[in-house]
Amino acid sequence: MSTPAIDVRGLDKRFGSFTALDGLDLTVQPGQVAGFLGPNGAGKSTTIRVLLGLLRADGGSVRLLGGDPWRDAVALHRRLAYVPGDVALWPNLTGGQAIDLLGRLHGSVNTVKRRELLGRFELDPTKKARTYSKGNRQKVALVAALASDAELLILDEPTSGLDPLMESVFTDCVREASAQGRSVLLSSHILAEVEKLCDTVTIIRRGRTVESGTLDEMRHLTRSTVRATTDGDASALDGLPGVHGLSVDGRSVTFDVDNDRMDQALRALTDLGVRSLVSNPPSLEELFMRHYGDELAALNGEGRGSA
Amino acid sequence: MSTFTGTGHLIRFILRRDRLRMTVWTLSLSGMLAMTVPTLAEMFADPEQRMARAAVMATPTGIVFGGPGYGLDDYGLGAMVANEMTMSLLVALAVMSVLHVVRHTRAEEESGRAELLRASVVGSSAQMTAALATNALVCGAVGALLTLVMVGNDLTVADSVAFGGGIALAGVAFGAITAVCAQVSEHARGASGLAFLVVGVLFTFRVVGDVAERGGSAPSWFSPFAWAQQTRMFDDLRWWPLALYALLITVLFAAAYSLAGRRDLGAGLVATRPGPAGASPLLNGVLALHLRQQRTSIIAWTTAVALFALSFGTLVSEIDAMVEQNPELLGRMGLDAGNMADGFLGMLVLYVVMATVAFAVLSVLRTRAEENAGRAELTLAAAVGRIRWMGTAVLVSGLAATLMLLLGGLAMGLGAGLVTGDADWIGDVTAASAAQAPAVLLFVGLTTLFLGTAPRLVGLVWAWYGYGLVVTVFGILMDLPDWMLDAGPFQILAQPPAEEFDAVPFALVLLTAAAAVAVGLGGFRRRDLVSV
Repeated sequence: MSTPAIDVRGLDKRFGSFTALDGLDLTVQPGQVAGFLGPNGAGKSTTIRVLLGLLRADGGSVRLLGGDPWRDAVALHRRLAYVPGDVALWPNLTGGQAIDLLGRLHGSVNTVKRRELLGRFELDPTKKARTYSKGNRQKVALVAALASDAELLILDEPTSGLDPLMESVFTDCVREASAQGRSVLLSSHILAEVEKLCDTVTIIRRGRTVESGTLDEMRHLTRSTVRATTDGDASALDGLPGVHGLSVDGRSVTFDVDNDRMDQALRALTDLGVRSLVSNPPSLEELFMRHYGDELAALNGEGRGSA
Repeated sequence: MSTFTGTGHLIRFILRRDRLRMTVWTLSLSGMLAMTVPTLAEMFADPEQRMARAAVMATPTGIVFGGPGYGLDDYGLGAMVANEMTMSLLVALAVMSVLHVVRHTRAEEESGRAELLRASVVGSSAQMTAALATNALVCGAVGALLTLVMVGNDLTVADSVAFGGGIALAGVAFGAITAVCAQVSEHARGASGLAFLVVGVLFTFRVVGDVAERGGSAPSWFSPFAWAQQTRMFDDLRWWPLALYALLITVLFAAAYSLAGRRDLGAGLVATRPGPAGASPLLNGVLALHLRQQRTSIIAWTTAVALFALSFGTLVSEIDAMVEQNPELLGRMGLDAGNMADGFLGMLVLYVVMATVAFAVLSVLRTRAEENAGRAELTLAAAVGRIRWMGTAVLVSGLAATLMLLLGGLAMGLGAGLVTGDADWIGDVTAASAAQAPAVLLFVGLTTLFLGTAPRLVGLVWAWYGYGLVVTVFGILMDLPDWMLDAGPFQILAQPPAEEFDAVPFALVLLTAAAAVAVGLGGFRRRDLVSV
């Protein structure tokens, strides 16, 4: 296999006594769109800043496009483009000037692509940056990044200010970039976006990777929700290995089942006589909730630190 | 419900937020007076010394840094304090008022915090009112403490009240000037720049008017800097000049509220126009970006410094006039007319230096603002190295500051040459300012050093600058111990034309500045970038 676009192993980062990243792992293969998921304050932006050589790693190994992001920052930055989560622009420059400037700092500007992207994102480049809304500032950074010929795109919650229409434009643009063979790291907490776009997903929590793999692989590890109407009493399913949260209401039954126990559960159901059956594959949301659900419960009513 | 709803809450909020800042200003201003008054009383205990002192204060140097010269004929302690301390206190209070009012009006709007507040139950005039009220509160506290210090030193109560009251009212007036300036510009930096410019022009009116004639002349009366001393406290007290403050404050408040009522939140008086859809070929890199960011402030500062230098340079003709009127004065000071003018201009060059240093430090500090705003992150995520980014910014600051210093010297020499008809001044004063360039670059270096290695401690640069400013101003007017002067940044270098140029400190300071820049850049390369 060729060199990964991003290869992070056991990354540690501390700010004083606060541990932001605690042995984080993240791999993005060339040409892949990798989702990077976690709640606010999990360490997504910190990881990205380490990848950009803006923060120095305290431990672990970080390789970016085969180089060291701290030492080789400038050479590597020629090959990547970055869209921050909160785009700050120079208030006295217009959007168009900022796009050109960022492009020139990067290397060159593809004027054809620039014009096309301005049209697709419906961005007025003659407005001063201080008059732009959050979404429009994000479009400026997106146009600058997508108009570049970077082989790696690092996007930190790039759609947080975009409306649904622009979000779909963004989705198309990422698909096109991926089709051209570019690698993409997409940090997000919008699960639908990640499910739609990403080949692989890494979920982090409190600076540590808790799950990573392709969506399919991860679905194997999780539970599907089964809803059925049966002739017999479905209480019989109680205690069956892999069945969770059984709820019986007359003839209808709902339960979650571990995917590798699905077979046994269905057998038990058919023995009862199935009238109707709906099975929902696990969504990323359920995956996410399984990792954070306990935290949500524990923190019920309490404040949580943000990034 | 009125446009003032919520003012009370906001006042308490400002007092809470700025409790340290406001306390430091109040205590340092009144503390400075509390320390100076007994020192003056002791140093000038006998009448002979006081009359010699009065002779110094009658010179243009004395008038520029002191006052219009009331009470010089019978120079008692009260008259001495009123004539020599008022101007420094007024300048300090003006700086404080400008910073305070901009901080709580335009800066809040620019950051978007004002929007959050205005969306709650807060009237449209509440924020400006709270800013002006808290500013008046600090000015009032300063004025009251100053009065107490004077009374505590056995000076007449009525004159002491005029002293403290005049200074406090001037502070409120400077706050009101700032409130108007804050309506014009969309940016906090633009608002404070404009306010400082107005303050500078008003100061110049006072200087020009007072130098022209003992006791002030027509130009003086246009300046709130003059009115406080026009009460003739400790000489022949009159109260009515204080009414001018009340009048000015009323007019300016009315103007500020009226302007504020006409505009949208966050907008200036001039609407933002669309700009170019693309960057010109000139905006093609880090240097161009830094230049573009600093363009307006470089031009504004350079113009202001050059204009002040030009007008101050013309004051040198007053020395000749004074020598004609009072020839024995020079003899008493052990000077002749030539080296008195040299000393005067050399001292004025120091003021150009101090203004340039303020620009230089602010200019380097803009990299910090870029970093805090997250724009440095965007730039450094492109193919731009840390050293190149920071180094270019420092280069722009250093070059602009040096240019400003030289142009300031040139303008001052031009002013002196124009009024005396002696073209030699042009070269001499320009050379005198060039001799101070290492001091300016030293501050560029120190600011870089702190930003690169310990950004949180960068306030120490301002502290040293402030110390240097105080010992320089007071060093001119009174004999400070040598160690106090030597600890400041502005006495390290030789000061032509009165002193011989000395290459050794010149080279040493230049090398120190270069080393500081190198260490700072190295530190910036190694440290984490500040995350938003």
